[in-house]
Amino acid sequence: MPGQPLLVCGATGSGKTTLLQTMAGLIPFLVRPQAFSGSVCLDGQPLSGMTKDAVFSAISVVSQAVEDQLWDLSVEDLIAFPLENRGLAKPKIRERLQELLDELELTGLCGRRVLTLSGGERRMVAIAAALAIAPRLLVLDEPTTGLDPAARQRLVRILRGLGKEVPSLVIAEQDPASVGEIVSEVALLREGRLGGTRPALSLMKEDAPWREAGILPPFLYPNRSPARATGETLLAVDGLKSRLARADGRAVLQGIDLEIRAGEVVGLIGRNGAGKTTLFQSILGLSPTTAGTIAIGGECADGWSSARRARSIALLPQNMRRILFHMTVMEEVTFAITAGKKSSVRQSVEDQAMTVLRKYGLGDDAGTNPFALSSRQQALLGLVCAEAANAAVAILDEPLLARDLEGRRMLQLFLDTALDRGRAAMMISHDLELVEDVTSRVLILDDGEIAFTGETEAAWETPAFGKLGWAPPRPWLKQERRHAAP
Amino acid sequence: MRLHEVNFFVKLAGAFAVMLTAWLVPGWQYGVAISALMLAFLWAQRVPGLAGYMKGVGLLTVLVMGSWVLNLMVQGMSLLDALPIAAGMAARLVTTTAAFYFVMETSTPGSILAAASAARLPPVATLVLSLTFGIIPMLREDFQRIADAQRARGMEIDDVSLALKLRYALARGVPLLVQAIRMAHAISVSLSIYGFDMRHKRTTWRNVGLFVEPQLYPRKVHS
Repeated sequence: MPGQPLLVCGATGSGKTTLLQTMAGLIPFLVRPQAFSGSVCLDGQPLSGMTKDAVFSAISVVSQAVEDQLWDLSVEDLIAFPLENRGLAKPKIRERLQELLDELELTGLCGRRVLTLSGGERRMVAIAAALAIAPRLLVLDEPTTGLDPAARQRLVRILRGLGKEVPSLVIAEQDPASVGEIVSEVALLREGRLGGTRPALSLMKEDAPWREAGILPPFLYPNRSPARATGETLLAVDGLKSRLARADGRAVLQGIDLEIRAGEVVGLIGRNGAGKTTLFQSILGLSPTTAGTIAIGGECADGWSSARRARSIALLPQNMRRILFHMTVMEEVTFAITAGKKSSVRQSVEDQAMTVLRKYGLGDDAGTNPFALSSRQQALLGLVCAEAANAAVAILDEPLLARDLEGRRMLQLFLDTALDRGRAAMMISHDLELVEDVTSRVLILDDGEIAFTGETEAAWETPAFGKLGWAPPRPWLKQERRHAAP
Repeated sequence: MRLHEVNFFVKLAGAFAVMLTAWLVPGWQYGVAISALMLAFLWAQRVPGLAGYMKGVGLLTVLVMGSWVLNLMVQGMSLLDALPIAAGMAARLVTTTAAFYFVMETSTPGSILAAASAARLPPVATLVLSLTFGIIPMLREDFQRIADAQRARGMEIDDVSLALKLRYALARGVPLLVQAIRMAHAISVSLSIYGFDMRHKRTTWRNVGLFVEPQLYPRKVHS
């Protein structure tokens, strides 16, 4: 309904993306399913009776996998693309472009190629492009994915201010709290079936409906993993400086010092574009450095090839498709175990792989092509490969699994297994509640340096965290405790 | 770097002119000199991916010269007579590839779209030009990213023999094909949802003349 933004929530794999793609006209206009029935109406008019151009002039969509709708254009090109395609005059395009760049605070990204931006930056640019034509319906699939808390706040402010410009808004989100204040109604999706809509204000305070839909409730009390005794240093970085530099010539990383010890899960937080990706790429030797040393398992790894480093440090990127390259799931896992070397005990390796696949519920998919798996299954495959590789440190970049109950359980299983084996993990995430729950220590990356390292509980009160301008995790809990205090 | 911002069509015309010159000059000495000048130009302009291109040029030169010398000698020509002819042929090809490499590497799909839209070309021509010249650098980057993915998964592709390196490079063909299909899908989705229509001529936000405006705001430099 116009003026009543709707939030659709559901666990990963519940059908949110399919539902939103259908609402946005992507299905069946661009993706033709084998079977399709029913109809979607916009302002009372069925989409099936409209031309493709009319549909996409009225509806703008930003997909969860935002890369699937981007190509090698610059920031300005992408935002102006819908206006240029509709033949608007140059002065009007430039005016709208300036408006959107200012409103979404994207002027600093001008001239950059979209594909070179961080995940959060890309998403904001795609949202700007979606807003460019002032659609009648804006469909956003997991819009806060990859956004840091400040960017989320900015997005919420922009969406709240859309008003008459974009009368209807539908959002699918696994993190309902992040967009709770801009939606008026919520519908929960469970195994492909959409429940009735409920007022957001009342539903947000409840617990059971969310759990029944397989999602973590918006107001979830902390459930901190017990801290474990730490052991030897598995990864040490000293004075690391990246060759990759910012527009002003300053290195993205300027003298990074950090240590990761056995038995700890370390959270790495920082603004979008702060250099988190460059940091783990530098550790793996995928991004060149100009200074500093890296030690893995107590040995200097400066002369090691990337592959040798990667056998000790497993990487799980946000988009697993970026590191999959085999034809079957089984091949991916056996590769993780053997690192591509021929094994004389192939059957034993496959048995080992199958054991881990079953542990994470992928036993029946051993023969499937990894690219045919859902995003959730690919993320699970990442956990399987990292565990099978038995790497000393696992780097998890924004694990999207963690927002639903089953995904959180799998992630916890992975972390527990790693810590039981005397391994460690580094988790890069903007989900501060997740960081609070599963990490024992936090690193804050700011301005190319580690601005804070210390216990997770202490991180939220530090000047380094304050400088980010983010709200600490679960701010409502603080208020609740204050009210409860005598 | 200002030369990178020259209008795509001017660059394209320049590349054709260089190619014609290379093929029309009479002696092999001129051909070699032009190709050397062209390579020096690429170096001076700091064209991206030059190291990889130079490897390709080396291979091209060896293959062209080898095949021409062999062919001419089989026909009864002496080695000394065959060498200049082969060198001339290799030089022409090097010059041609270098000229178009410059155009391809310094023209983004956005700048090509802008130049074509400003010239009021039909949308189909705009699209074909942007994709033809824009997609090759994108595929090359994807090829590199797949190599990085293999490294990040522990596959040793650097500290190995040349034969193994070549084998691993060939093995990247399958994921590259998958990636190319995904890229084609992404471009197709992007064109549809952002309203690209073959029947309507496009406009552009950029100021286009001899140069194509690279960005809306000048790059910010922090103090």
